[in-house]
Amino acid sequence: MAAEGAGDGGGREEPVVVFSPSEIEYVSYGGEHHLPLIMGLVDDELSEPYSIFTYRYFVYLWPNLTFLAFHKGKCVGTVVCKMGEHRNTFRGYIAMLVVIKPYRGKGIATELVTRSICVMMESGCEEVTLEAEVTNKGALALYGRLGFIRAKRLFRYYLNGVDAFRLKLLFPRPSPTFLAMPDKDDSQNQPDHHP
Amino acid sequence: MANHGGGAAGEVGIGGRPLPPSSIPAGDQTVWADASPFIEAACNDLQDGELIHGENFSLFAAMSALEIMDPKMDSGVENCGYCSVEEAIENGAAPIPLSLDRTVDVQRTIDVMDHLLACEATWHRGHSLAQTVFSCIYLLRIERTSSHALLHSYCRITRATCNAIISAVADARTHEEEDLFTMAYGLPLKGEGDEKCLSILNSVEETISRQLRACKAPSSKKKVLEDLESLQTNPDLEEGYCRALLCRLRFRKHFYHVLMCLRKPQGRGLELARKHVASCLSELAFIYKSLEFLRSVSHGSAQEDVENSTTASGCRPVGFDVSLNSKLSAPTPPRAIRLLSWKKAVGYFEKLLHDLDVLCAFTLDPMLEDTLRFVVQFQKSQPDLIARAHLQLLLVQDGKLCGRDFFYDVISKALALPELAKDQEFQKNEFVVQLGQLVINLLKILCTNSAWQRRKLGKILQDWSVISIQLELAFKREFGEMLNVSIDENVCMKVSKHLLIWAQEQTYWIASRFLTLGFELELYSPTDYCMVYWYMYVVFVKLLEKMQMRIAASSDNSRRKGKKKRDHAKDSGRDAGVSSSCLLLQCYIFLSEGLAMMLAALCNDCKVFQMTGPFNGEEERFIQQFELLQKAQVPEHISYYLFKESTVHARLFNVAKHNYFREAQRIIASLKGSFSGEPDKLLEVRQLEQVAEHNRIALNVVNQVGGQDPSLRVSLEFTHHPYFAVAVVKRS
Repeated sequence: MAAEGAGDGGGREEPVVVFSPSEIEYVSYGGEHHLPLIMGLVDDELSEPYSIFTYRYFVYLWPNLTFLAFHKGKCVGTVVCKMGEHRNTFRGYIAMLVVIKPYRGKGIATELVTRSICVMMESGCEEVTLEAEVTNKGALALYGRLGFIRAKRLFRYYLNGVDAFRLKLLFPRPSPTFLAMPDKDDSQNQPDHHP
Repeated sequence: MANHGGGAAGEVGIGGRPLPPSSIPAGDQTVWADASPFIEAACNDLQDGELIHGENFSLFAAMSALEIMDPKMDSGVENCGYCSVEEAIENGAAPIPLSLDRTVDVQRTIDVMDHLLACEATWHRGHSLAQTVFSCIYLLRIERTSSHALLHSYCRITRATCNAIISAVADARTHEEEDLFTMAYGLPLKGEGDEKCLSILNSVEETISRQLRACKAPSSKKKVLEDLESLQTNPDLEEGYCRALLCRLRFRKHFYHVLMCLRKPQGRGLELARKHVASCLSELAFIYKSLEFLRSVSHGSAQEDVENSTTASGCRPVGFDVSLNSKLSAPTPPRAIRLLSWKKAVGYFEKLLHDLDVLCAFTLDPMLEDTLRFVVQFQKSQPDLIARAHLQLLLVQDGKLCGRDFFYDVISKALALPELAKDQEFQKNEFVVQLGQLVINLLKILCTNSAWQRRKLGKILQDWSVISIQLELAFKREFGEMLNVSIDENVCMKVSKHLLIWAQEQTYWIASRFLTLGFELELYSPTDYCMVYWYMYVVFVKLLEKMQMRIAASSDNSRRKGKKKRDHAKDSGRDAGVSSSCLLLQCYIFLSEGLAMMLAALCNDCKVFQMTGPFNGEEERFIQQFELLQKAQVPEHISYYLFKESTVHARLFNVAKHNYFREAQRIIASLKGSFSGEPDKLLEVRQLEQVAEHNRIALNVVNQVGGQDPSLRVSLEFTHHPYFAVAVVKRS
């Protein structure tokens, strides 16, 4: 799945809409009436053909992980995710992320993703993952700022021959011994961490 | 109502559009019935948002559904074009001859050849055979071309070449993401008579050579040669066309020879392959030069611009249809692909040939260490699948190195105990057998694309680490804690100790490659560099330690054997090589440590390269970056806390005092002499020199200016060395 058009927004000839961040309304997936909005946004932006069943799979099973962004009643962005067990890890996955061109570069995508990740964290996910094209500088910067690392490079992942990065965010694990960094004196008393 | 499924020819349906002809007529036992009202009623049965669930129809399974009539998902939807190859041929899509005018026929044949080359290069680059080479109708029905000697011979050799390449890649079984490459989907890759492709080509080449000689002969001689028909009808263009064809035919011939020679066992064909590679490159140069002639003679007839055209002439070729195979390949329509332009295709083959040339220059019967170095060096030019697959096939054949040396032999040489290879006990030793398998696996992995390679190297760290631990346990069990005591005459003990040290050394070598590849793959962001260089420093230190232990153990060995003088000379040559390897490692150590500490100091003093995310911190990133190394305990006792302890007190003034970069420079000065005969190594040393110098200066500048100057910008660039960055200081 492709995480999509959300990033830099620079140098485009599309009319940029002027708005303040407070005018954007973020809404959790509320039902069937949201589905055509999501499908419309994603179908326009991505070349991947998704059938309606693909959308239903995500929004029916994980409605709390899909968010929409509205500006004056118009849907301008969406994020679609899932979570589940994957090889003994409870993991979140960001499947689709779209913000329409005139609204890019203003933090809407970051806000959408952040909300989703918060829900994942609260639900007990240990990590979050997604794939992004190596050329998608905007997405890579966005996720980089949120703490994702590039765990793997996938050679020619996309059919146009472009490589992808698998991005992963690891949530802090509850620490059994101590929560803060030990200071210099304490380190002598911690047998596990002798250099 | 009957026959609503389709109409007779000319019948018109709703909206004035012609009904498609009925493909299934109603018969004796069958009748067509209109199901529309039934389906409409069924549709009204479901409300918005409702979904039918079945035992085999979960939401997850439903994602594989295709929407019929959606052109992105339904292969069968006719966009336009022919339904079958036969229909295309019937409608004149691939005429034979390509024109009744012999000049136009030659021109169009050259266009077909050029477009095929572009298709081939596109296929090599990772696209499907069906949408590239086999979009050629002439190739799909090769028997049709038998009346056209030129086209027929070119098609046959192209097909035979593709088959040879698929064979090689399939045999290499690298299982990279490029598995799709070997999928032929039932395309006609092989046919009777393909083994004669060279002789067919040779006779065509011979004819055209004579035609070329004939057109260049002075008029007095022409009478003698007049019984030979010219290639085409325009005498002014005869020479140009002959030359354009000859270089194309010869390129194919030599390329085919290259592939045949490379597959000869035990690298016996390498020298001859190299000669054919050189011929290919020279024919390729002629092919490229023919661009001018071909463009000029086609001028005006619907030419595409030279940069994007798939033919030298700029004209679109006849006989190709991408959509014909779309129904054969896969259930979903293949994504539209862009063919490489002819110019780019020529460039691709040029690079492929240069990579194969390097391969052919590989000296057989090498030490494992040299083989590993060769592969790492080979990979620097980012060779594509074809070249890498052939390298792997050369190195690992019949379970032996280059088809010649058993791996127990290779290992015994690596241990500097070559006499062991004859010892049956050694050959059958469970550790030696396992290590042999691990080495084979390592060689294969090192030939894969770097993204895949890094993941696999991370995984095999576990295997190498486990075998090292097992070796150590076995050693301790048998000989107790005697690692530091000088070896007695017990051969078993000596061998075990050598094996252990060698296995540990290889493990750290793999770990270092895993870490450095991360830079080339752009996996690290600047906020990660500090911890990565720190881990590299730790791994290099262990690698050097094991290398020095191995050297000490083998020089112990040769000293006690009382080697003859001539052996000493050979040994000291090897020792010099070995000690320069140690020096190089020490240089790496200083550079990694210097970079780690400089970045830590910049972070502590100037607050740059800090990671401040809302969901996690540096510890989580450390855990993720080094997960596989930590899991394999390579090395042991390394943790995030150790990293923090080592770096939390770094300050610019004390890092500058440590002179890491100056120490590196000192070593580099002596290395230059040792590597004087080896251009690859010398190149790297020069790169390291630049890295050390620039970083030393940058560190001094930042230290002097003081960390608090907000206008100072530090960036990290890989302008000199692929994995040692250079700090660039600027005022904003």
